[in-house]
Order: sequence, then structure tokens, then C-alpha cells
Amino acid sequence: MTPNLPETDDELLLRMRAGDERAFVALYRRRQAAIYRFALHMSGSAAVAEDVTQEVFLALIREECGYDSQRGTLSGYLFGIARKLVLRHVERGRSDVALETDLESSALPEMTVNDDALTDLMRREGIEALRRSVLALPRRYREVVVLCDLEEVDYGEAALVLGCPIGTVRSRLHRARALLLEKLSKRWQHRPGAIALKPIRCLI
Amino acid sequence: MNCQEFWNTMPELAHEAEDGRFEHLGECSACAALLNRQRTLASGLRMLAADWRPVEAPARVESRLTAAFLGQAGLRVLHPATRWWMPVATWAAAAAAVLALAIFLTRDRPVVPAHRTSSSRVQLAAVEPPEDLEMLGDSSDAGDDFIPIPNAARIEPNEDLNLVRVEVPRSAMIALGYAVSEDRASEPVEAEVVLGADGLARAVRFLD
Repeated sequence: MTPNLPETDDELLLRMRAGDERAFVALYRRRQAAIYRFALHMSGSAAVAEDVTQEVFLALIREECGYDSQRGTLSGYLFGIARKLVLRHVERGRSDVALETDLESSALPEMTVNDDALTDLMRREGIEALRRSVLALPRRYREVVVLCDLEEVDYGEAALVLGCPIGTVRSRLHRARALLLEKLSKRWQHRPGAIALKPIRCLI
Repeated sequence: MNCQEFWNTMPELAHEAEDGRFEHLGECSACAALLNRQRTLASGLRMLAADWRPVEAPARVESRLTAAFLGQAGLRVLHPATRWWMPVATWAAAAAAVLALAIFLTRDRPVVPAHRTSSSRVQLAAVEPPEDLEMLGDSSDAGDDFIPIPNAARIEPNEDLNLVRVEVPRSAMIALGYAVSEDRASEPVEAEVVLGADGLARAVRFLD
């Protein structure tokens, strides 16, 4: 007896295009959470995330999209629409919390991180601080962290979503992680009672 | 390999077993410490991802999208082999709804003399037209004088509506607050009935 395999996104999309409501609901329920979380991490606003999620699936319903299964997955395609919509919302509302800083230009990861900030990560408030640090990353770094680290999208698919080579995804992620370490360290040092530590430098 | 070369390989994104670049860590304790911090950060990101895994869009988004999907699907040309029954079902539902409306409006209701008509009921009908009748779109004055059917469900935003024209005895108008004289109670009157997506009547207006 052959076990019933779940339908692929493309199969559900095909049935949905033929007017099958259950296929649409199944596809929506399978993909909505990741799209919503992506928009929420990117914008920091539940209202924007809700709007973006709705608009992404409305585009799918209206067949405004030019999805081509030969060029990538439906999931990646939906992330791509969500990304554009988030950018539009951010530009309209100027709600982008991240500012580009001169820190981005340095080649080596910053080495001023202290271990207490990282030990904090194992606690609830540490995770919340990490979330805020992700939200405060410049947009091009934030989107790779959200896609690759938080939504576990592989580098190849992230490259398609972002419209850049895989190497760029890796280098942005590399830089983003370094910025996160630095932000966490600064956040920890600015807490009441925190002791300023001397930065560690690698001399070899 | 020096530190710069080591970090240029983005070691925090690689698995330790992949190649020999991690030999550098044996020579440089600072890089080893930093790589450890990178790995702790990666663990923190995994915890954050797990924390957020249950987060999803509010249920109202699914309701809105499903309504939009059904509206959109209704506009498409459906395959006759699979959807041949749809027009039949629609007309059957509409006919059943009109019949139910006629029964509701005429059953056990005595003809009320004109002077006993409650003015407050007329006023109620006038001030509370269905809010969404502009969606009908086929009549410029649609929504002006439609009267909500008592106890019927509200018209939802984006709901698929149908408009059906019928004839009912003039006495049916009494139930909705109109004054009807006894001698004209049995005359037929034209009415337009708004049917919801479920085929049930939501509002009515009389045409003369």
C-alpha cells in the first residue's frame, strides 16, 4: 500500500488555480507563518506583517505573480514578494529602525564581544535582546539573518529571493553575525552595573 | 594562514570537518575564542527561531483571503466537466431563498390597516440600510432603499451577493413596516431581494 504523500506546493497551486478552495487554504496554512514572521522580523510591526502576509497571498490569488517553478520554489517566490512589500511599507512609513553605520566597512569581525553578553543568550532576556539586535541591523544584513538563520532558508534559495549571488548571501551573513555580536556586547555594556571590558585584539 | 585569511573563509558558516582551515585555531587563541562566540550566537539564533516558530498570522487574514479567493474563483471560467452543476445549484439556491422569503413575509400575518403602521419601524428601515450594498455595482442607487430582512445575517465585506427580482403579494410589505390598505393587500408587487453567498435573503426593496 502506497502511503499518502502530502501534496507539493506546485500541486496545490495547480488545484488552487482551478478554483479549489481547499487547495488554497492548505497552501496558505503551509506558508503563511514563515511569511508573517519574515515580515514581522523585518518591519518590527505586527500591523505591517499582517498587511504584507495578506498582500502576498492576494497576489497569488489574482495571478499577478509570474511564478515559474523552473526558476525556484514557491516558498522562495513568496518570500520575494514579501520582501518587496516590506520595503515598500518601510519606505512609505520610514519605520526602518536600522541605520547604516561605518562599522560595516571594516573587514574583520569586531572582537570587542564579551562572554557575559553571550551567556545572556541562554536566558529569556538574552533572546529578546538578540531579537532587538536583529531588528536593529541594517536592512541588507537583517534580511539574510531572518531568511537564513531564523527561517532556515538555504543560501541558494536566499540568493534567489534577494536577487544576488550565493557568495553575496554568505558574505552578508558573515558581516551580519559580526554586527550582531557587537550590538549584543554594546547592549550588555550599557546595562546598569555592567563593567566595561577591554576589547580583545587578535595580533597574529 | 593568518587571522585575516582565516576569517575571510567565513569559518562560522562552515562545518569543522570540511577542510583544514581550522588548524589556525590551534595557533591563535583569540580567533578560537571569537569562533566560539560566533557559535554561541548561532545557538542563540536557533533558540530565537524556535521561540518564534509558533508565531503566525492572525486568523482573520485567512478569513479575508478565503473570501477573496472565493470571489476571484467565481469570476473565472470554470471547466464545464467539473463545474457543470454550479449554475443549477445557484439557481436552485436562489429559488429556495425566494420561496423562503415569500413564506416568511406572508405567513400568519394579518393585514394591518394603514393608520396602525408603526412609524418607528419605517424609520428603522430607513436609517439602517445594509452597509455593503454598494458592492452590487449594477445599480447606481443600489443600497438607497434596501431594507434588511429581520434576523438575517449581516452582509460581510467582500461577500458574494446576488440580486434577484421577484413578485410577492403586497401584504408582504406590512412585515417590513409599510402601510398597505386592505383592498390592495392581495395585489402583486415587484421586489428585489439581495441573496448572500449562502443563498439566504439579506435585504429587500420594493419597486413601487
